[in-house]
Amino acid sequence: MKQPLQLQINGESRQMLVEPFYSLLDCLRDEAQLTGAKKGCDEGDCGACTVLMDGQPVTSCLVLAHSAHHADITTIEGLASVAALSPVQRAFVEHGGLQCGFCIPGLIMSATGFLQSNPNPTEEDVRFAIGGNLCRCTGYARVVEAIMAAAAEMRAAQ
Amino acid sequence: MTSRNFKVLGQNHPRVDAYDKVTGRAAYAADVYLPGMLACKLLPSARSHARILRIDTGPAAALPGVRCIITGADFPDVRFGSGALRDRYVMPRDTVNFVGEPIAAVAAVDEATAQEAIELITVEYEDLPAVVNPITSMQPDASTVHPDLEDYQGYGFTMGHNVSTLLDADRGDVDQAFQDADHVIEDVYRSQGINQGFLEPMACVADVEPNGRLVIYASTQGPYQIRAGLAAVLELPVSRIRVVAMELGGGFGAKLRLAFEAFPALLAMRTGRPVKLVNTREEAFTMNGPRLPVTNYIRSGVMNDGTITAREAYTIFDVGAYLGAGPNSGIGHGIGAYRVPNFRLRSYGVYTNKIYVGSYRASGVADMTFAVESHMDHIAHRLGIDPYDLRLRNALREGDVSVSGAVVPSNGLLETLQAVKDAVAWPRQLEDGHGIGLALCEWRSGSGPSTAAISVNDDGTVSLLTGSTDISGSDTSLAAIAAEALGIGMQQVIVAKRDTDMAPYTGQSGGSRVVYSQGTAVQRAANETRDKLIALAAERLGLPQDALGCEDGRVYVLDNEPQGLTFTQLAAASITSRGGPIIGTAALSSMPYTPVFAAQAAEVKVDRETGQVRVLRYVQAQDVGTAINPMAVEGQLEGGVVQGIGRALTEDQQFDPDTGAVRNPSFAAYLMPLAIDTPQIENILIDVPAPDGPFGARAVAEPPGFGPPAAIANAVYDAVGVRVKELPLSGERVLAALKGQSPALTMDVASLRRAEGIAAD
Repeated sequence: MKQPLQLQINGESRQMLVEPFYSLLDCLRDEAQLTGAKKGCDEGDCGACTVLMDGQPVTSCLVLAHSAHHADITTIEGLASVAALSPVQRAFVEHGGLQCGFCIPGLIMSATGFLQSNPNPTEEDVRFAIGGNLCRCTGYARVVEAIMAAAAEMRAAQ
Repeated sequence: MTSRNFKVLGQNHPRVDAYDKVTGRAAYAADVYLPGMLACKLLPSARSHARILRIDTGPAAALPGVRCIITGADFPDVRFGSGALRDRYVMPRDTVNFVGEPIAAVAAVDEATAQEAIELITVEYEDLPAVVNPITSMQPDASTVHPDLEDYQGYGFTMGHNVSTLLDADRGDVDQAFQDADHVIEDVYRSQGINQGFLEPMACVADVEPNGRLVIYASTQGPYQIRAGLAAVLELPVSRIRVVAMELGGGFGAKLRLAFEAFPALLAMRTGRPVKLVNTREEAFTMNGPRLPVTNYIRSGVMNDGTITAREAYTIFDVGAYLGAGPNSGIGHGIGAYRVPNFRLRSYGVYTNKIYVGSYRASGVADMTFAVESHMDHIAHRLGIDPYDLRLRNALREGDVSVSGAVVPSNGLLETLQAVKDAVAWPRQLEDGHGIGLALCEWRSGSGPSTAAISVNDDGTVSLLTGSTDISGSDTSLAAIAAEALGIGMQQVIVAKRDTDMAPYTGQSGGSRVVYSQGTAVQRAANETRDKLIALAAERLGLPQDALGCEDGRVYVLDNEPQGLTFTQLAAASITSRGGPIIGTAALSSMPYTPVFAAQAAEVKVDRETGQVRVLRYVQAQDVGTAINPMAVEGQLEGGVVQGIGRALTEDQQFDPDTGAVRNPSFAAYLMPLAIDTPQIENILIDVPAPDGPFGARAVAEPPGFGPPAAIANAVYDAVGVRVKELPLSGERVLAALKGQSPALTMDVASLRRAEGIAAD
């Protein structure tokens, strides 16, 4: 039976009635109409569903929606303001770090969460940080380049 | 670089869809939510080969929330196929041919209910003998996968029994050439099953419009092919079906044709409600055709100086339950990028009771390249010739005749070889356990029906309409081609989204054909648009057309540049002009043969204790002709190489030897490269303009993935002196080779020759 659930999603408080077996991913997509997080495997292997939960990257397919009760969730939709992309988003655009784009919301959320905890990473750090995000199109070269560029830009802005 | 002076091409442009994709707004098929939408789930066959005696859907239908259940009997009694041979039903009527084959579909109010209903369906089977191994399947006493094969529409090119396909290509006097050769060298190679690994599982939403037309929101590389496939299996005219191509989350060949769209389509027709089907990852592995194993026998006659004079290659493609792509490459790529005056090439497609074979990034060519390019190194080492020199000696030159008989036009093959040689400082002696290997890759720029329409908007921008779905940034490249031809900026080109109701018919997005063929149509449509703009300006200015130029969004007078009319002014003028609003169109069906060549080098480290191979560096040089959007070109090259590295080292779609069932249907068990697994990749773009093709561009996407298995296997040989002839080059396999315990790979070529009446040894 559906149970009440409260989440802070992209800065907005949302109350929903959600089945107890629903994952956070299903809750975001089916109930909150936020389809940016993708279901690539529903098994925690691909990382396409990555969102930030209380600031930490999580694979939302492996988080039970109700275990996120009262949590602060940031999805890809919450990153850009109306006027501007976030530095990570902008770097992906400028460095060509995307092709089909299906893994990109997850990669950008992983990178965003990671750069908050490590603003000055090495390339190897970046590769490990996105080690849970599969991408079949890019071969990662431009993805890594974009994240390094975003890190540099964010440091310069501080 | 050439002296060509481009304004738009040759510069890096962000993708036209980049903003949508980094903000999560890009809508894929699974992102379609319609009011009243039902969820569809599928029941997979539990048997590899069995008669379906009874399907009991009663308890499932009684479950609250279930709206409709369909089985094979609900579809018209028509077969379809992925090619000419129509060897399958969209849902089996009485016989299942592989574990995982969908045999019933449920529509229910939500996914959980639909899945619960699936589990309530019971099926009574009568098992039939199954055959899983393609070599066994070719034996006369093997059980038959398709007893009615000869009655199928499109039957031909086959030997009957389980051989769905036998293709041949011959040139010269092969047997004499082998007799005259100084050396005869033979090998058998085997490559593994490979999953396409697209991140977006198959998804589709079907809806029925109030007027009864079917609308399909699809994840596809070929909206018109989905429409044609649906029309065939539902016995509807194509005009009753509209396919909307949503963003494509990776296809690599897996989404070229009709897949599961007919299930939600029929359920939507029956219920009058929209129906959504989204595959699970397990279903993406077990229901949707991957590449299946390939065994290749290759034999060469070689002179003392390294000149190859004869080639014989027999290749056996496992096609699983239903014929798909692949066997063509057994003859099309049996001699590689080399001039071989005498050859006998045979390619077999063989049925087994496994999941049907699917397409993947030039189906079969990577398997052929592994065999041909490993064999080249084997020849070089046997003769004591440098592998680079052997390749250079035999490489195709302009004016040579390709395997298909087409004359090889100007190309950058030799330049790619030289560039890679320079980049890795070949030949180079490395420390123990380290090695370098080479591979040469060949492909052709893809052809096929292509169309484009360009209309000029009120504000001087243009709208570009094509039927091609975007793969790998092709929309951006097409926009760049239009912009270049019209003398406007990228920002002035709007690329329309695809829908079979409004875009002109076109071939699939695949086989490296979009930028080359579709791009040519765009260029021609842009030229026509420009000509019409110039004609209108000439009329308004009272000047001859040849006195006018077209650049920077305006038509101007050649010897008085400030005088002219902007596209905006011309668009306004066109409304009341004799010719009316300006639109340029173009269509073509095929393009001349334009080869694409790439040379690659892998530098590896082999751990002698574990057999683990690590790629430290990868260099590729490809003749891409004009790089329309270099950033996108390099992205393609890198992505392709990494797919190839996965194929070389870790990816292995495994099948149960008894049932043929996929044994590793998850990303946790099917190991695609991660960011931490990929080496530094260096791209060298060689620019020998294609004689045809838009602004001299060649195809890009396929060749990068061909080379890594052979380049890495050759590097392993260079590092530790063992040749591994079976993919993937897992630690286990390399270690066995180091211990001299590699299993022998064989093929009974003598009996294949005999079956054809060939007397040779």
